[in-house]
Amino acid sequence: MLQFARFAATRAAMAVFTLLLVSLIVFTLMELVPGDCAERYLAFKNTQGQSITVEDIEAERIRLGLDRPFLERWTSWLGNVFLHGDFGQSCILRMDINNLLGDKFLISLGICLAALVFAYLIAIPVGIIAATSKSPLLNNVLRFVSYLGLAMPNFLLALIIILISTVMFGDTLTGLFSKEYRDAPWSFDKLMDFLSRAWLPVLILGWSATAFALQTVRALMSDEIGKLYVTAAEARGISGARLLWRYPARHALGPIFNSLGFDLNRIFNELPIVALIMTLTEAGALLIEALARSNDQQLAGAIIFLLTASIVAVNFLTDVLLALVDPRIRKGILG
Amino acid sequence: MTLLSVENLTLEFDTDEGRITAVDDVSFEIAPGEVMGIVGESGSGKSVTAKSLMKLNPGNSVYSQRSRITLMLEDGPVDVLSLKSARELQVVRGGAISMIFQEPMASFAPAITIGDQMVEQLQLHRKMTKKAARDLSVEMLERVGISEAGKRFDQYAFELSGGMRQRAMIAMALSTSPKLLIADEPTTALDVTIQAQVIDLMKDLVAEYGMGIVFITHDLGVIAQTADHVAVMYLGRMVEHGPVRDVINHPAHPYTRGLLAALPDLEHLDAPLTPVPGDIPSPLERPSGCVFHTRCPIAKRGRCDVEVPAMTALEATIASNHSAACLALNDPHWMG
Repeated sequence: MLQFARFAATRAAMAVFTLLLVSLIVFTLMELVPGDCAERYLAFKNTQGQSITVEDIEAERIRLGLDRPFLERWTSWLGNVFLHGDFGQSCILRMDINNLLGDKFLISLGICLAALVFAYLIAIPVGIIAATSKSPLLNNVLRFVSYLGLAMPNFLLALIIILISTVMFGDTLTGLFSKEYRDAPWSFDKLMDFLSRAWLPVLILGWSATAFALQTVRALMSDEIGKLYVTAAEARGISGARLLWRYPARHALGPIFNSLGFDLNRIFNELPIVALIMTLTEAGALLIEALARSNDQQLAGAIIFLLTASIVAVNFLTDVLLALVDPRIRKGILG
Repeated sequence: MTLLSVENLTLEFDTDEGRITAVDDVSFEIAPGEVMGIVGESGSGKSVTAKSLMKLNPGNSVYSQRSRITLMLEDGPVDVLSLKSARELQVVRGGAISMIFQEPMASFAPAITIGDQMVEQLQLHRKMTKKAARDLSVEMLERVGISEAGKRFDQYAFELSGGMRQRAMIAMALSTSPKLLIADEPTTALDVTIQAQVIDLMKDLVAEYGMGIVFITHDLGVIAQTADHVAVMYLGRMVEHGPVRDVINHPAHPYTRGLLAALPDLEHLDAPLTPVPGDIPSPLERPSGCVFHTRCPIAKRGRCDVEVPAMTALEATIASNHSAACLALNDPHWMG
């Protein structure tokens, strides 16, 4: 038990170290963009008709602390993020990033996680059946459907669904909240309203993720089924569902767990485009806004950092979970 | 008395490239307490033959109409090839027949303890309580010479050494008291020193439990130490069969002679090894006539590539049941 706590602590320390490294990269990237925050903000003001002098820029720079050395600014940004969860101010919008993000990041992450769960809830049983079935019809149908899922971009599926729903039901099914709830505080009704609408983006994001996960599960299962220990168990008279679940399926779980963090990342990457089409202003769109439109490095950095932190957290959890489930890893830890 | 009789076993695999013959008209018998060795190169069909005894070959296997595998049990004979459902097959799979494999590491499920796998099998076949199954398993582990058996019971295969894994595999295979043990190259993956221990252990256990053993190997040296009878297989056909000493001292088939000549001779280490010439043909290009004629030093054109030789008893050793399938046999004018 003690060794296990030590293992978890080591993994947690490694996760924190990864995050530190990521924060350094993110912060450096933010710095690499030509011009600093003072210049960009005042240039923005300039376009609004104010005249700006070099002295104004210098003064703004000092006000924002941009005259301090790079390492000092990184550590203070880091301290705020890690200790207070405070991402500072947006460069262009001059608003607290925390307020700006609000629950948007959590909503986005929730949709992605739901898509991930949805994908594996389908992929695991179907992948296992596909790997064990000898029916060429079933296998060809599954292959066709999953290649369709892999090949068809999410936004196309989103457009098709919007088109169909508009024509058939007169409702576009876009957005994450009905009008009356959009700015209302969270309540049970708002949650219900959210859920009644969130399933569609989850479905669309889950669609290609399922296709991908299905191929993974199927390949891993086919691999396991061909192994000698399965034949050996069969030779001992073990058969049917017991043979399948206790032997190959259980042993294929490890690599599946390991791919979860990677899948989350992929789903999150696809979210902005789907969000754009479905006008989900609460999710993803902010990242595009920050990166592409307003060049708001502070905001983009915060979002990227939060995303990385989520992936690192998922990887940490799957590592610990895998160590609990797989004796090879567990015994390696316990020594 | 016979324990197992295999008659005219012919097995083909249905593949995209067409039917591939894996075993061609093989017949043999095993008595209780007898060790029957099957020797051959890889691809000779020896493993496939052994797996047929439990109907363990993949789903694309087609057994011919004439194939018969009969197992004599106390409740009467069992026609193995007619067993269909998983429940029926349990009679042979882990019930009357146990099998141990070449790779002891790979034949244990990596994430299930050795004990769990042993208990699972015992509960399945002998309707034992968990406690009784555990006690018997630990006893079996002790019996095969595993120290600290109680501790090993709760360990995983990767925590044991190679020799110990194979002992554990033997313990698991014997725990259900099978009538027949199939050992598919059980010592090939082990160190030479461990090989001898495992072979001795198997010989002791056969004597003690009075079961039959099918011992598959490509190593004639191992066969000489272990088996009572030996069958030599080539490309799915049995080419020679007889008591192990007869076959090794007086090999009748050119292929058997080739295998024996290929063994290093410890007394003349400088003498060059004589490999069997050529390669084993692809199963897709099965030679006509005698399957060995493409590599046979004494093959005659117009005879060996046309006629399929039948298993014939050797005149000189007819009493000991030594037979081989070669047209040159019992033909004094062949070489002349």
